[in-house]
Amino acid sequence: MTTGSAVRNELWDLYVKETAAIEQDFSATGDGRAVLKRRTALVDLIVQRLWIEIMVGAAHSELETSNGPKNFTLVATGGFGRGWLFPHSDIDLLFLHGSANSETEFKDPIRRFSQELWDLRLKLSPMTRNLSECERLDPNNVEFAISLLDCRYLAGDRDLFSRLHEKVIPKLIARDCQGLIENLGEITRARHHKFGNTVFHLEPNVKDGPGGLRDYSVANWLALISAMEKLKVWPDPSTLLPVSSRRALDAALDFQMSVRCFLHFRHGRHDNTLTWSMQDEAAARKIGVSDIEITNAAEWMRVYFSHVRAVHRVCNQLLEEIPAAWSSLYRQFQGWRSRVASDDFSVVDGLIFLQQPAGLRDPEMLLRLFHFMAEHGLKLSTTTEYKVEQALPALAATPPRGAELWLYLQETLVQPHAADALRAMNALRLLTLLLPELKGIEALVVRDFYHRYTVDEHSFLAIENLHRLKESKSEWDQRFAGLLIEVEQPELLYLALLLHDSGKAVASDNHVELSLQLTDSCAERLDLDPLDRETVRYLVASHLEMSGAMRRDIFDPANVRTFAERVGAPERLKMLCLMTYADIKAVNPEAMTPWKADNLWQLYIACANYLSRSADERVHTGGEKDSASVGVANLAHLRSLARVAGKKFNMFLEGLPQRYLRIHGATDVLAHAEMAARVGEDGVQLNLKQIRHWYELTLVTTDRPALFASVSGALAAWGMNIVKANAFSNAAGTVVDTFYFTDRFRTLEMNLQEWERLKKSIVSVVKGENDVARMLQDRLKSEKTDSTKVKIETQIEFDDSSSAHSTLVQVLTQDRPGLLYRMCSLISKQECNIEIALIETEGQMAIDVLYLTSGGSKLSTEKQTALGLALHTELLAK
Amino acid sequence: MTKVEAIIQVSKLEAVKDALHEVGVEGMTVFEARGHGRQKGHTEFYRGREYTVDLIPKVKLELVLVDDMVEKVVQAIVAAARTGKIGDGKIFLSRIDEAIRIRNDERGDSVL
Repeated sequence: MTTGSAVRNELWDLYVKETAAIEQDFSATGDGRAVLKRRTALVDLIVQRLWIEIMVGAAHSELETSNGPKNFTLVATGGFGRGWLFPHSDIDLLFLHGSANSETEFKDPIRRFSQELWDLRLKLSPMTRNLSECERLDPNNVEFAISLLDCRYLAGDRDLFSRLHEKVIPKLIARDCQGLIENLGEITRARHHKFGNTVFHLEPNVKDGPGGLRDYSVANWLALISAMEKLKVWPDPSTLLPVSSRRALDAALDFQMSVRCFLHFRHGRHDNTLTWSMQDEAAARKIGVSDIEITNAAEWMRVYFSHVRAVHRVCNQLLEEIPAAWSSLYRQFQGWRSRVASDDFSVVDGLIFLQQPAGLRDPEMLLRLFHFMAEHGLKLSTTTEYKVEQALPALAATPPRGAELWLYLQETLVQPHAADALRAMNALRLLTLLLPELKGIEALVVRDFYHRYTVDEHSFLAIENLHRLKESKSEWDQRFAGLLIEVEQPELLYLALLLHDSGKAVASDNHVELSLQLTDSCAERLDLDPLDRETVRYLVASHLEMSGAMRRDIFDPANVRTFAERVGAPERLKMLCLMTYADIKAVNPEAMTPWKADNLWQLYIACANYLSRSADERVHTGGEKDSASVGVANLAHLRSLARVAGKKFNMFLEGLPQRYLRIHGATDVLAHAEMAARVGEDGVQLNLKQIRHWYELTLVTTDRPALFASVSGALAAWGMNIVKANAFSNAAGTVVDTFYFTDRFRTLEMNLQEWERLKKSIVSVVKGENDVARMLQDRLKSEKTDSTKVKIETQIEFDDSSSAHSTLVQVLTQDRPGLLYRMCSLISKQECNIEIALIETEGQMAIDVLYLTSGGSKLSTEKQTALGLALHTELLAK
Repeated sequence: MTKVEAIIQVSKLEAVKDALHEVGVEGMTVFEARGHGRQKGHTEFYRGREYTVDLIPKVKLELVLVDDMVEKVVQAIVAAARTGKIGDGKIFLSRIDEAIRIRNDERGDSVL
């Protein structure tokens, strides 16, 4: 039997007319849900009419009913089954047979039926199965089992459909629930990964992108499978998703339905990409936002992101919560994670719950919650998120600020999962409440041809890129990971990354200026120490400079010199290099090519070497020209702050290496100048203070033989581990030596009176009243254990060309107690003077650069040979 | 039609792009490249390790032009990319048989 042309024409007319009416109504109302309802009803009507035309009476061997043959039925599945038929969606149809016998008989009618639908230009996705094939989960076609979850009767044998719906599907769920959930989780995670695991794309896919309509369906399916497994029957659909999120999800669904309908109508095909031009048009037509004032595409996209973020959150929560109930391996893993629970938080199935929900009224508890999340890589449970949201209005009245806020924020920023904690804080609107400076970039789309993510997500991703360096296997990542370990204050680098693009909130040619203003405001809010403030400010101000320098010839010494001098200090260079790396990599997944990574590394090492080898260029306070590299303005600023008389201050600065001014902030320089002014009183000025995880000892005195060696020996004798040191002297022979050390035996921490004893001991050593060698011998005798973990080959390199006055020697060797003393004593015995010392430790490697003179000149070749041999012998000895 | 392939110094990319725009070139393809001709590599030591760069970073531009534009474009590239030192790069020219615009199957010079 063939379909009559009259019926075909009638259906075609109906389809064309109704489709046009649906589009016209959408143009007027923007109501996506109404489109779906009408279009589903239209296609229902067409397929039912065709069923009667083609199938009823097609069978001869089976008993016929008014609905056609028995044991054969037509089922809507997938989106069509849900009643979500978008203008250009595929139409998922299942031709279901009661047994395999009838399949051959209806092969031809099914082909004709499908052909008729194709002729009506409906995109059909047909499947033919018998009932027994629907009972089991096919691991190679999980999508089919999932599509059955949305099945809906269309035509044919109603009893057969009831058997599918009431018996077969519940049985399938009861038997294969775990496999279904695990497979659905895997498919969803793979899809999220394809989109970089973020909702914040500049041109998102409204169906498949994270937080898109597919995620809403996944959340529903997970909840449905879970409920059905427990109840053994179909649950009430309205009770599936979490009550706390239902309102947000309903609003998100309405919005996304309208947007996807708009895209289908505008593209005229099944294209779900929300391109820039579509964003402009959607904003102008207020698609999905009729009740909100929207003036441009950026504002409209913020609404879009707020909806998809809500869907993504719920989908991810269910992806974490539901599989846990079935998988023993998953439970074991989560059980292991639950061991990190504390007095404040419990961890169940990888989700954080509050031990005392009322505790969130305390802002500190709230900050501790996100620190906990950042430390352990856990997610918040739905109830915890709800409690956080409830706590926000009270917090908004008196948000924490100053040192209290910075204390928690810095601890959070350095944790391995800081980016996820920041994303969660951002999603709950806590981040912008604490740091309103970030409000302008929240879900902000800035259009260019290379950024893939919104500005806030780009910043979080940049932070994540640095944290991920440690676990990366790539050659480039490992180099930069090594650099990150050396950074003394990583929290400042992370804060700078969080703020570096905050100025993009206002469209302009130069976002850095506004970023700096917002950085100042943030630094004020966090009550940052002036030096820390200066560092963050520098990084934000310079975050594009290294990329700019990479566009010049990175092997040209003049370019290297110019850039290195602009950066000034090695610590800043490290931070700026890492910031550049993280920033480029967060632009899009392909942005950091091996080509760029190599160029960045080459530029970094060239500048680092330049800074080590040019440390003895001196400050001259008399001529503006000579002091150009450290900045005349900088010197004038220092003079204006100095409490010691101008002449004395100039005397102190005269002849000091420029490197001194680059690594010490204004506060330190002024303090040293005052110490220098007091040197005459008792010959030695000392300052000991604790900074973060180490101690800093500054010694200002007149130069004398073996001074640096004596102090390093005394510190080693006290059991201190020198991790860094600098030694500088000015034209008048005043020495400023700074030692940074850790207290291996917690002597200073446990005994406050030991601070004074240590200082007295150092003074007596400097004055020659105490024998350092004997002190050190006693200490080394008591330390027999060899703590060598990595063997470092000693390398000694002399360089006569980098400095006009000194010979540089770079020593790389195994770090060990008393090393600096042994080395510097030997240098002194060889009648060499240490003009400048730059001492660093990286893990178990000591990296020492010393500027040496002998009799006021560079070291002769013979002297270099003799010293090299002596150092080798000394450093080889145990 | 002629294909112009120019291998130039990274630092000269912006100047060359500007020069090409000035002579009326509207589109080009830019590749990150590495290589060397007579220019030698570069070695730097850092923390006791030797980092040798045998292949110097360069950028490669590709353009397909109508024949009467070629000499003007070559001159623009040479003027903008030249420093007079080894390592300035090279320009290669080759014949192109046909150009096709994928969008509408248009062919010939008008595609460029």
